[in-house]
Amino acid sequence: MRELIVPGEMIAESPEQSKGTFIEAGKTYSAVLGLYDSETNRLIPLKGAYIPQADEFVIGVVEEARFSSYNIDIGSVYKGYLSAKEVREDLKVGDVVAARVSLVDEVRNVDLTEPRLLSGGEVIAIPAVKVPRVIGKEGSMLKMLEQATGCQILVGKNGRIWISGQKPDLAVTAVLKIEREAHTSGLTDRMKAFLEKGGA
Amino acid sequence: MVGIVPEGAPTLVVGGKRIDGRAFDELRPIRMEVGVLNRADGSAYLEWGRNKVMVGVYGPRECIPRHEADPFRAVLHIGYSMAAFSSMEERNRPGPNRRAREISKVMRHAFENVVLLEQFPKTAIDVRCEILQSDGGTRCSAITATALALADAGIPMRDLVTSVAVGKAGGELMTDLGKEEDNFGEADMPLAFSMRTREILLLQQDGLLTKEEIQKMIRMGFDAAAKIRKMQVEALRRKYK
Amino acid sequence: MAVIDEVVKDYIVGLAASGKRKDERSAMQFRPFTVEKNPIPNAEGSALVKLGKTSIMIGVKVDPCVPFPDRPDEGVLSTNAELVLFASPTYEAGPPNENSIELARVVDRAIRSANAIDVKSLLIEPGKAWGVYIDLYVLDADGNLFDAACLGATAALQGCRIPKWEDGKVIRTEAARTLELALKPITCTFIKIGGKIFLDPNEDEEKAAEGTLTIATTEDRICAMQKSGKAGFTEAEIGELMDIALDKSRELRKAI
Repeated sequence: MRELIVPGEMIAESPEQSKGTFIEAGKTYSAVLGLYDSETNRLIPLKGAYIPQADEFVIGVVEEARFSSYNIDIGSVYKGYLSAKEVREDLKVGDVVAARVSLVDEVRNVDLTEPRLLSGGEVIAIPAVKVPRVIGKEGSMLKMLEQATGCQILVGKNGRIWISGQKPDLAVTAVLKIEREAHTSGLTDRMKAFLEKGGA
Repeated sequence: MVGIVPEGAPTLVVGGKRIDGRAFDELRPIRMEVGVLNRADGSAYLEWGRNKVMVGVYGPRECIPRHEADPFRAVLHIGYSMAAFSSMEERNRPGPNRRAREISKVMRHAFENVVLLEQFPKTAIDVRCEILQSDGGTRCSAITATALALADAGIPMRDLVTSVAVGKAGGELMTDLGKEEDNFGEADMPLAFSMRTREILLLQQDGLLTKEEIQKMIRMGFDAAAKIRKMQVEALRRKYK
Repeated sequence: MAVIDEVVKDYIVGLAASGKRKDERSAMQFRPFTVEKNPIPNAEGSALVKLGKTSIMIGVKVDPCVPFPDRPDEGVLSTNAELVLFASPTYEAGPPNENSIELARVVDRAIRSANAIDVKSLLIEPGKAWGVYIDLYVLDADGNLFDAACLGATAALQGCRIPKWEDGKVIRTEAARTLELALKPITCTFIKIGGKIFLDPNEDEEKAAEGTLTIATTEDRICAMQKSGKAGFTEAEIGELMDIALDKSRELRKAI
């Protein structure tokens, strides 16, 4: 039984850098609600706002189009900045783009690069902390979702997910189910059964 | 509350027991529930005796007013407020009065110790504590509930904050003063702790006490807070079973 | 996040064109609702209303006051709304904004017009009367604050304690009597999207709405109305909506 870890709880007697933790006097403590993964010896945060980091793949929506740049809403209090030079065709407000975070500076200005316009399909948002569950070990959960729904599913590290294909409604329902039950065990088996029954 | 008992004041200690029958170190019943508001990023509802508190946390989000934003860390806004209908006596005029603003400030300082503000520069973390019903010890209720709401919002903290008041009434030192004990007693000392580091994050006191009394009261505070922290952890675990 | 709002709004407008709603309700269907009576015993009257995800705590305090000079033999009724900070990211703290003012005034009008409370019976003695202060605290907002607030105010007033007045002092531990409402006002709020009309909008629907009409009813009459938003309503539409309001308000009134 994985017990919920609370802020201030010690998870390692040595300093370990990972999301959702802090180090004090050489020991590692959890800073947020989370679960302890004994295999990787890491904290799996259950809650927390998305903070962009360099090299992360994100999906965002164009919020503002200016003369030489775009502001992209990436589901964070910090907006993404995309230079017009990076984009082949002009983007407009409301366009959905996939991109990579190239740089985050000390005051959290977020630069985006390698943008790709995503047409059609739909975008849903889940908390960023639940993304690893949607992807699964070595992508196994995501593969299962794509096969069962006949959809292409792009999962941004920021919790934005783009779905396009045969059964998008089933894909959306499945992802939201994973989000609700992310902290439980036996989820993979339950999702398999859920998808086999076509979402019942 | 300075040792002179006014006319008509109730007898606060009878036969070694308190006015409501509690032992000197006994807490009133406390009930906690996490994640009760849909639109807040984190929330908690807490009942402590007859006190009823609702806390909502928003953030990190854009800092309003903009000029308050700090380029290096999040700004923590804490608003403690008593609802107009919260008192057994007359209606309170809505809007923060001087007492509410002072409580907001000392609460903010307590949480600034534990919240990892540097992780969210230029933003604000907005916390609103609404006292829906008051019956003595509302700030301790508000702080204890705020810790839960911040955790529910995923705001990174070094520890939960746990709060309780210890006081002196009817000549006896006692934990968790009720309303009459607070109104007619000799002294009151609200406290808040980071139980992990044993640091005292909030300390206020009124009344006349000796140094030894205060030291004993602080120890009583730690004992009570240990019980309350267990309840906080249980409430969080219940939410995420 | 304003851009996401636009995406949701387009979706809602698209559904509305065929009379459909995102939560699959019918056009004239209320969301599930609950009314909890007397959640705040310190207040003389109180109620907690949940309508969908909208949640409003209503408290009523009864305090002695000086009657208005032009109504010297009447008690005072006063309604205030607090859009508590955490209700929604779009509500800002500070002095009452136009939304909280409108909410308070519409609820106030519904209760006053219905003569729900016999204000003459609130007189204590010349120069002194009971003031009935209704405070609407919006805890969680997901659209249609009006209907939730009015339902809660009526529920809080029904059975509200009036304290005892003895030798110039208020005795709250004993109730001299409780308020019995002659009539129980209930509001029904309708929105218009692309010419189609829907009852009890959630927040997404409110953002997509072009116009709003709130109708307050007692058992068989209309006691207050409020229209807001750009879109106009035709005479025929208003006639139809009054009938629907008289009918649908009975569902909510049962909960009191």
